[in-house]
Amino acid sequence: MLSFLRIIKFSLQDIVRNLSLSLTTILILILMLLSINTLIGVRILTQEAITSIKNQIDVSIYFNAEAKDAEIGEVKTYLSSFPEVLTSTYFTSAETLAKFKEMYRDSPKILETIEELGGNPLGAMLVVKTRDPKDYVKIIKALSVPEYDTIIEAKTFGDTEKAIEKIQVITNQVEKFSLALTSIFALISFIIIFNTIRVAIFTHRTEISIKKLVGASNWFVRGPYLVESLLFSIIAVVISFGTVRFAARFSDPYISAIFERSGILTNYVNSHIMELVGVQFAAVLALTFATSLLAMRKYLRV
Amino acid sequence: MIKLRDVSKIYCADGHALQSVNLSIDAGEFVSIVGQSGTGKTTLVKLLIAEERPTDGQVEIGGWNITKISQKDIPQLRRQIGVIFQDFKLLFKKTIKENIEFALQVAGEPRQRIKEVVPRVLDIVGLAEKHDRYPHQLSGGEQQRVAIARALVHRPKILVADEPTGNLDSINTEEIIEILKKINSFGTTVVLVTHNREIVNHLKKRVVTLHGGKIISDEVVGKYRL
Repeated sequence: MLSFLRIIKFSLQDIVRNLSLSLTTILILILMLLSINTLIGVRILTQEAITSIKNQIDVSIYFNAEAKDAEIGEVKTYLSSFPEVLTSTYFTSAETLAKFKEMYRDSPKILETIEELGGNPLGAMLVVKTRDPKDYVKIIKALSVPEYDTIIEAKTFGDTEKAIEKIQVITNQVEKFSLALTSIFALISFIIIFNTIRVAIFTHRTEISIKKLVGASNWFVRGPYLVESLLFSIIAVVISFGTVRFAARFSDPYISAIFERSGILTNYVNSHIMELVGVQFAAVLALTFATSLLAMRKYLRV
Repeated sequence: MIKLRDVSKIYCADGHALQSVNLSIDAGEFVSIVGQSGTGKTTLVKLLIAEERPTDGQVEIGGWNITKISQKDIPQLRRQIGVIFQDFKLLFKKTIKENIEFALQVAGEPRQRIKEVVPRVLDIVGLAEKHDRYPHQLSGGEQQRVAIARALVHRPKILVADEPTGNLDSINTEEIIEILKKINSFGTTVVLVTHNREIVNHLKKRVVTLHGGKIISDEVVGKYRL
């Protein structure tokens, strides 16, 4: 117990008496954590952008004017039973016409044609949204059966299939790229933290050998540096996380203007606070501990 | 107290740092180990404090065979031997009081005992008033006195001094040697490694001369003969 208290005392003394080295080490840890968090932020926004694009994709199923409500209801119930289906919204023929007119309000010729036909030539419509664009293929396949041929006039998916495929490819690539970028940054951070701690230990090499010559055990020498690593990790994670929260709050109003959803980053940070802080703290601590022990090994052989 | 039997140390294949050295030092002796640079004096010190292991032979300190001492036991050995070095080896980020306290703290000595012992030792080496200074604020002689105080704080039975006056002027050299003589007069075995002719001749104590890693002379009251 006495040795443990002395180790803590020595580590605090060392931090204060080597203030510039301590601050530099903490600063580098903070910068590395911030760069990782920035990339996490970029990933969140990328995911948000992908989700936003995916949300704008849907498949419209147009029914014949003769299709009965019961038949349409049956199709709706059938589609809702698919786990991939998020929503299926029913529009009556009058609502479909209103939507059609709204969609083509800048195309007078199309509107004139509708007028000339007289009455409402359009049937009811189901707008289906799935969890993922690739699920639309399954939905379309499920509807392409003879018993529905007589009531379904058209499915818009055929027109947008290529676009959806393209979006799928792009989103996959963006996800892979952001994951690769995060991994590269994590690796760079690992190397920089590793070298920072090594340099810090290197500057203490004479001190380490003197302590050994005076009769200190290996753990009595290691102890203060490990306590320092712990304190540096705590300080770095607290400051970097505080900065991240501030940056999230600051950026959210600008981001919400793009995504039409407010508090994306702040909500993410708040809902993942334990994972973000816990994982980053554990990673930094493990890295600084391992590096300290590894770097000291050479100088302890006295 | 100290026994070396057929001790050899080889660092590289083409030369011996020490070659079949047999040496016995009794309790309370003051022995000067002399020799030119590269004759194995510092290697001998390193063997005594287990900084190096002999390639051959046996090293015994106070009846403890340290030839194959384990890493775990080395701190224990070093707490029983006081060592002072040419370059003082003080912790530069600690005050001189903290430097001396550190030697006791590593041994797990209670706070109360440290509080009692350290001022006494500082007083012996005449640095009581400068206890809160850092090593760089002291002269070379004063720094060496701090190193002596640190070595003495355990009340060791053996004090090994490796070229303790190598970085000091003649006045400080004289002071340090007087302190070592005083320590010896209290019964501590002193092993002084030096190549300072004047000191050795003035001491009129036992002199062991090393040359090419071998002991070439061992005189009870010797002189520097190289």
